[in-house]
Amino acid sequence: MNADQIDAAIRGLAAERRLPPSHLARWLALDPASRAAMLDLAGALRLRTGQLVHALETLEEIAVREHLTVAAILDRPEIRRVATATGSAPSRASEFLDALRSLRYPLLKKMQDELRAEVSALKLPRGISIDLPKELGSDELSVSLRMRSAAELAHLLEALDQRRPAIARIIEMLGGKK
Amino acid sequence: MRFELDAVFVEHGCESSALATRVLGALPRELPVTIVADAREATRPVASAPDPFGAGKRRLVIAPRKTPFLMPCPAGSSKFACCGYLVLTLASNCPMDCSYCFLQEYLADNPAFQVYANFADSFDELDRLVANARGRSFRVGTGELADSLAFDSLTAVSRDLIDFFATRENLTLELKTKTDEIENLLEVDPRGRVLVSWTLSPEAVHRSSEHLTASPAQRIAAARAVLDAGYRVAFHFDPLIAYPEAERDYLLLIDELLDVVPPKHISFVSMGGLRMTPRLRGAARARFPGDPMLCGEDVLAADGRFRAFTPLRLSLYRALADRFRKAGAEIPAYLCMEPASVHQHVFGAQPMRPATIGERLARS
Repeated sequence: MNADQIDAAIRGLAAERRLPPSHLARWLALDPASRAAMLDLAGALRLRTGQLVHALETLEEIAVREHLTVAAILDRPEIRRVATATGSAPSRASEFLDALRSLRYPLLKKMQDELRAEVSALKLPRGISIDLPKELGSDELSVSLRMRSAAELAHLLEALDQRRPAIARIIEMLGGKK
Repeated sequence: MRFELDAVFVEHGCESSALATRVLGALPRELPVTIVADAREATRPVASAPDPFGAGKRRLVIAPRKTPFLMPCPAGSSKFACCGYLVLTLASNCPMDCSYCFLQEYLADNPAFQVYANFADSFDELDRLVANARGRSFRVGTGELADSLAFDSLTAVSRDLIDFFATRENLTLELKTKTDEIENLLEVDPRGRVLVSWTLSPEAVHRSSEHLTASPAQRIAAARAVLDAGYRVAFHFDPLIAYPEAERDYLLLIDELLDVVPPKHISFVSMGGLRMTPRLRGAARARFPGDPMLCGEDVLAADGRFRAFTPLRLSLYRALADRFRKAGAEIPAYLCMEPASVHQHVFGAQPMRPATIGERLARS
């Protein structure tokens, strides 16, 4: 397809998906290679409206952060692997957005993985759950206990107490201690 | 004058004020000056311009302030541990253009650079404040809704302020700036009652986001010059931006600062991570779409603002606090717009009450 045909196809897809005009404008404002690469991917993964919006916004932010074109980002191995993988289009679309998120928030992803590993290593008994703050947007750790008897409560509290140093370490990690 | 203006508007009745006389006398003759009955219209965004807010900033409006000059810092909230700072609004908006500036939201509807012809009335408010709180000390700053010194070469308001504060035992004036416009300061004696503070950012942030400001090196040199002239100095690492090389760059910046301004001469430092409401973030990104500093690893925090995710932000605070601690002097430090729990993580102690920290910073 030449540039005009690509733009026509983008407008067609945007109309079909009822993409907000502001996002269509952002798509069409990309360089030609990026416009085309995004069109290929949107078609291959059958991105829905919300997914398209999210992808365009995230790609723009990654492009600004890393001084790259959208085409260059979509050509990265972790993105190409998702785009060309087997599996249903919806599951690949979801994986694609996850992969974009990892590129957009690399340190957050790493920190979340580390904290989840710490929580998992606690090997908490049934009845205790520990929730990390959403998107690590605060320093508050939530601990929930579920019990039906005083004996169960005693058991859970003892289990928590045994894990106090490890939980304290998680709180310190949330508080920025390396 | 370092900053360019497109037009000047003077509200009728202010033409012969001391401030208008000074400003109009210092402006280039070719700059159009219009006398208007009501200056409010001139403060609005310039709708016909591609960047209505930016164009609005290039209009200078001289008018009387019709509301009190003195107010608590607008950043204060029961959610945060506050520093007890009082804001004296003698001007509104700023000729510099930092991409992250909260004034893009706060002054979205009236972005013109306004200076208040009746600014001397603020001195009565200050005297009343002191009279009603005998024995207490206050830190009062002019750098919240404007840069304290950006147009000082035109207005020379700093001289009037310093003359006033120099004779008030319980008041400390804080002039907060990103400029190196200190010429007026060097000609008056602050008698220990005036503190000049600079927002400091690494060169990468200055290049990317702090348009028309003095470079970090120029700010540090200006700090040294006013220190030698008898002023107290302080530094704000706010906004602290968590870009990929941030920790290295901020620590280098602190080293550069301490090479020029020994820690024992620093009255205090503050830190505050970049925080943006969704509206501010949208406005900032629309005006500065290519600024990577506006695309950090920010998440929506409990206070409804986008902030660098908590462990990342707090690890930066810790690194900077640690570097100052290791410098060997106990420099008072506080965090801006952060809850008490964050103070505990960073400094290992709960923050003092706002009034107490306010007094301590006023006397530091």
